[in-house]
Amino acid sequence: MEVLAKLGIDGKLLLAQAVNFAVLFWVLRRFAYKPMLDFLEKRTVRIEQGLKDAEAAKEKLGAMEVKEKAVLVDARKEAQAIIALAEASAKKRDVERGAETEAKMKRLLADAQVKITEEHNKALTQAKAEIGELVVLSVEKILREKIDVAKDKELIEKYLP
Amino acid sequence: MEISIAAEKLFSIGALPITNAFLIGLVVSALLIFFITRVTKRPSLVPHGLQNVIEIIFEALLNLVESVTQDKKQARQFFPLIATIFLFVLTANWVGLLPGLGTVGLSHVNEAGHATIIPFLRSTSADLNFTLALSLITVITVQFTGIAALGILKYGQKFFISPFHKPYGIGTAVGILELVSELGKIISFTFRLFGNVFAGEVLLTVMLHLVPYFLPLPFMFLEVFVGFIQAVVFAMLTLVFLKMATLAPEH
Repeated sequence: MEVLAKLGIDGKLLLAQAVNFAVLFWVLRRFAYKPMLDFLEKRTVRIEQGLKDAEAAKEKLGAMEVKEKAVLVDARKEAQAIIALAEASAKKRDVERGAETEAKMKRLLADAQVKITEEHNKALTQAKAEIGELVVLSVEKILREKIDVAKDKELIEKYLP
Repeated sequence: MEISIAAEKLFSIGALPITNAFLIGLVVSALLIFFITRVTKRPSLVPHGLQNVIEIIFEALLNLVESVTQDKKQARQFFPLIATIFLFVLTANWVGLLPGLGTVGLSHVNEAGHATIIPFLRSTSADLNFTLALSLITVITVQFTGIAALGILKYGQKFFISPFHKPYGIGTAVGILELVSELGKIISFTFRLFGNVFAGEVLLTVMLHLVPYFLPLPFMFLEVFVGFIQAVVFAMLTLVFLKMATLAPEH
């Protein structure tokens, strides 16, 4: 034991050092290691989850982009089909309308001709009647005057050559 | 200049003599608790500053412990002791390198009548009381860990082997050697740490007295390195002994 004393080993100090270390150990374990290691573990899990989520989101985005493209292509095709249809129907209608107009014109023309003919005939008839009347009147006027032989002869010669 | 193997007494509280090494031990403990718990009380999700340093140390230590135990649960069980040994021994070793080592202290007249200084600063590891206390704690913990893992009978079979089984007698002798080696562990732990750190302090003190400028510098670097290595060695050996104690005897 004298050797221990010569080396500076002292029971009281030995115990004090041991207690000091034990207290340090206990405090660090309770307030440092446990919370910190738990925290680090939790964070590792969280980061892993985050990376996984990011990967999943990226995949989803890619899939959605593909889908979007497909939808756009479909929409464009549909639009083109609609335009083609509209064009065709417009053309058809144009043709129809053209035909109709022509028919109408023809009809109008025909009507007009008929009317013109009718009017013509009417006018002719009327004119004939008026002329006849006029002739009668004028004849009557002429006849009301004294017709001598000479005049008669002159008239006959004038109108009946 | 006076070199003493024992830590020098500064004053005493009641019957307890307070040596410079013990005082430094208390200060180092307080500083460790202060700085580490300040971070671990409220760790932020995005680490910065001191938290980075502590995270790096903790993760490196945990990885080391896991690589030896090959078992996550056991690693969490061993981690506190390993980490405390590493952190405390490392800090204690490095504190001894601060300026003031062996030069700032109480004036004192020794028995021969020479006026000397009792320095305030002395590494805790340069005191056999501390290294012996730590070795005892370690070796006793190792025994209890072994008993807890294997049960007292199976653990006892590591040391007490019947001479009537296969290797006849040889096994028994090996068992006794194992038992002695447990005692040897205490001594080797104690003197390895003490020897390295104390030798470093003596070397630096002598250098400082011979050539005060620049010459001690390379030795300072060396001692920084030695202080780190000794902390790692102590922690590593503790870890290996703990792991070995939990393995079942092969026979």
